[in-house]
Amino acid sequence: MEEKKSNGMSRRDTIKALATLPVLGYFGYAYNANLLKIEEAKAQNYLERLKIDKIEVSEEKLSPPTGNSGNRIRFGVVGNGWRGEQLLKSLGYVHPDYVEDSSENGIPDKGMQKFLDQEDLNVEFAAVCDTFEVHTRRGVEISANDLRPFGKKRDPKPAKVFSSYKEMIASDDIDAIIIATADHTHAQIAIEAAKAGKHIYLEKPMTHSIEEAVELRKVIKDTGVVFQLGHQNRQQMSFKIANELYEKGVFGDVSMVQVYTNRNTVFGAWIRDDAFDHKLGNKDNINWEEFLGNVPLCEFDRKKYFSWQRYSEFGTSITGNDLSHQFECMNQVLKLGIPETVVALGGQYYYKHHGDMPDVFNAVFNYPERGLTMTYDGNLKNDAYRPSRILGSAGTVDVDRAILMYKDNHTDRYKDIILDPSDPFYYYAPDDDVDAISSATSQVYMKGGYGPTTIDGKTVEATLLHLKEWVDAIRGQGKPSCDVDAGFEEAVTFNLANLAYEHKKVVTWDKVNEKAIIG
Amino acid sequence: MRKHNQYSEYSNWQVSALVILRVLIGWHFLYEGVVKVLNPHWSAAGFLNASQGPFANLFKGMASNSGVLEVINFCNQWGLVLIGLSLIVGLLSRWASIGGMVLLFLYYVSNPPFIGIEASAVAEGSYLIVNKNLIELFSLLVLYLFPTGSIIGLNRLFASRK
Repeated sequence: MEEKKSNGMSRRDTIKALATLPVLGYFGYAYNANLLKIEEAKAQNYLERLKIDKIEVSEEKLSPPTGNSGNRIRFGVVGNGWRGEQLLKSLGYVHPDYVEDSSENGIPDKGMQKFLDQEDLNVEFAAVCDTFEVHTRRGVEISANDLRPFGKKRDPKPAKVFSSYKEMIASDDIDAIIIATADHTHAQIAIEAAKAGKHIYLEKPMTHSIEEAVELRKVIKDTGVVFQLGHQNRQQMSFKIANELYEKGVFGDVSMVQVYTNRNTVFGAWIRDDAFDHKLGNKDNINWEEFLGNVPLCEFDRKKYFSWQRYSEFGTSITGNDLSHQFECMNQVLKLGIPETVVALGGQYYYKHHGDMPDVFNAVFNYPERGLTMTYDGNLKNDAYRPSRILGSAGTVDVDRAILMYKDNHTDRYKDIILDPSDPFYYYAPDDDVDAISSATSQVYMKGGYGPTTIDGKTVEATLLHLKEWVDAIRGQGKPSCDVDAGFEEAVTFNLANLAYEHKKVVTWDKVNEKAIIG
Repeated sequence: MRKHNQYSEYSNWQVSALVILRVLIGWHFLYEGVVKVLNPHWSAAGFLNASQGPFANLFKGMASNSGVLEVINFCNQWGLVLIGLSLIVGLLSRWASIGGMVLLFLYYVSNPPFIGIEASAVAEGSYLIVNKNLIELFSLLVLYLFPTGSIIGLNRLFASRK
């Protein structure tokens, strides 16, 4: 029998009471021996880990509104298609149908509420011009809708309708122009507008050819109008941060840049004969001659009109549509400039009866002075999503709306940092709640960084910020971030790839004479 | 509280299994807590902001208020440490089981693995309704209903004094 002690406890009781205490001792030993080191590395401030003092752009503030009663800017829209309407929304104008669809019993939904809360840029939608009557009419209806951000109801004066962009440019009704037309008309409209002293917001891609890019850049510089190319990724915080990290040496020497775009829907392949409201289009309500612009006159073709992206006389191929975005983002991050040589291969293997656009496309861009190449893989028969990837000597970095960096196992820069190589070394993701997105194309758009961005703790559409930057610059505050020089690099780069594909030859950029040399 | 003489109804194997489970869960809590306490940059903000599901706005709201966040950070990290210690040494471990269940319930509902909710960045993997938090929560319920602190644990010191 156990002998009870005076306090009523036997030795067995004591042993049983204390039986698990050694576990604590082992915990302490294990923690100190192994885990502390790893946790110390994890706990280290990420700036110390990246070996930089701070990330300046993440402290950026939203610039205050520049509008006042005396500086309202009157703008005209040429090309009021789906992108035109998106731009108008950022400028504070939506169609009455949208208002009705986006509210229930007078209560606005989340998207509508965001519109109502967005900054009023103090601009006036004064004129509209579209080659499709249905879109012209919608433009007028949008301009006459008196619902503005913050419930402001300015005198809803309907926008003046112009049947030709030339008349709109020549008129005194507008101070600035928004161009969201088919690619083949970008340069001609922008050049004439600049010559008439109108400030320009031009949708991407900048021009249909290298020659046009050379001319447009000259005219913009000669006239001094404020020019912004519609690559709103310039406002995206992830790209701004990635640029700063790159310039501070966080990535090391970049030897390779890999960009991709994949789509796998008929709509995504720009076959849009019957998309949106296009079924309403016919010979009688489409101004075919105005649409053709500088393209030699030919017979009306509904397919060409609505799916113009797929026809090389109007569109700029998969490169002008998709690569231009990816390149622009990487140009923003790495300041790549124009490649020295380009090769491209691929073909139109699937959508054979729709224009001449390749649906499988690979290109390599060589930058000998930078010691790097950029590759582009574009595909219209698979929709795998891949962020752009930067291969640096110090780490591998995936960039889109977020940044995910893994350190290189053999870099000296981070050799003191003990970290499981499979753990992300640096991570940035915007701090917001993006609405549930349904379609594949729009998901890619959001992930790619062309949707909302986070600045100053707020979530704002990148397109709104991009337009704001342009409007502020017209009022003398700041400069557009995607100016004609950036646009020039974009236009030349993707056009070089198109030439390489078309001629099946290496194409070299003659930077002195600003010409492409084929073969 | 149950009378401790009932404990003798457990077989030795049952007691051993329950004590091992208690110590393992205690170890897990203690480690999660110590790591956070010793990391000056740790904050629940990232976890709360990644919240999804029906209570996402509530958790995000907590993260957005710095005063509330500070309280949450403090309660979470020291809660984890104390619960872990208590379970390991077998002192007040029924109370620790309740506290642990509350924390696990909050982790669970802030990122519930429900149908239609994408696996979040803070989740370890993808699950369908049942995830490791939920299993640990119910393991603590078992420990609450089958306490062992007075058999193997410091509670025995007090229980024996009666």
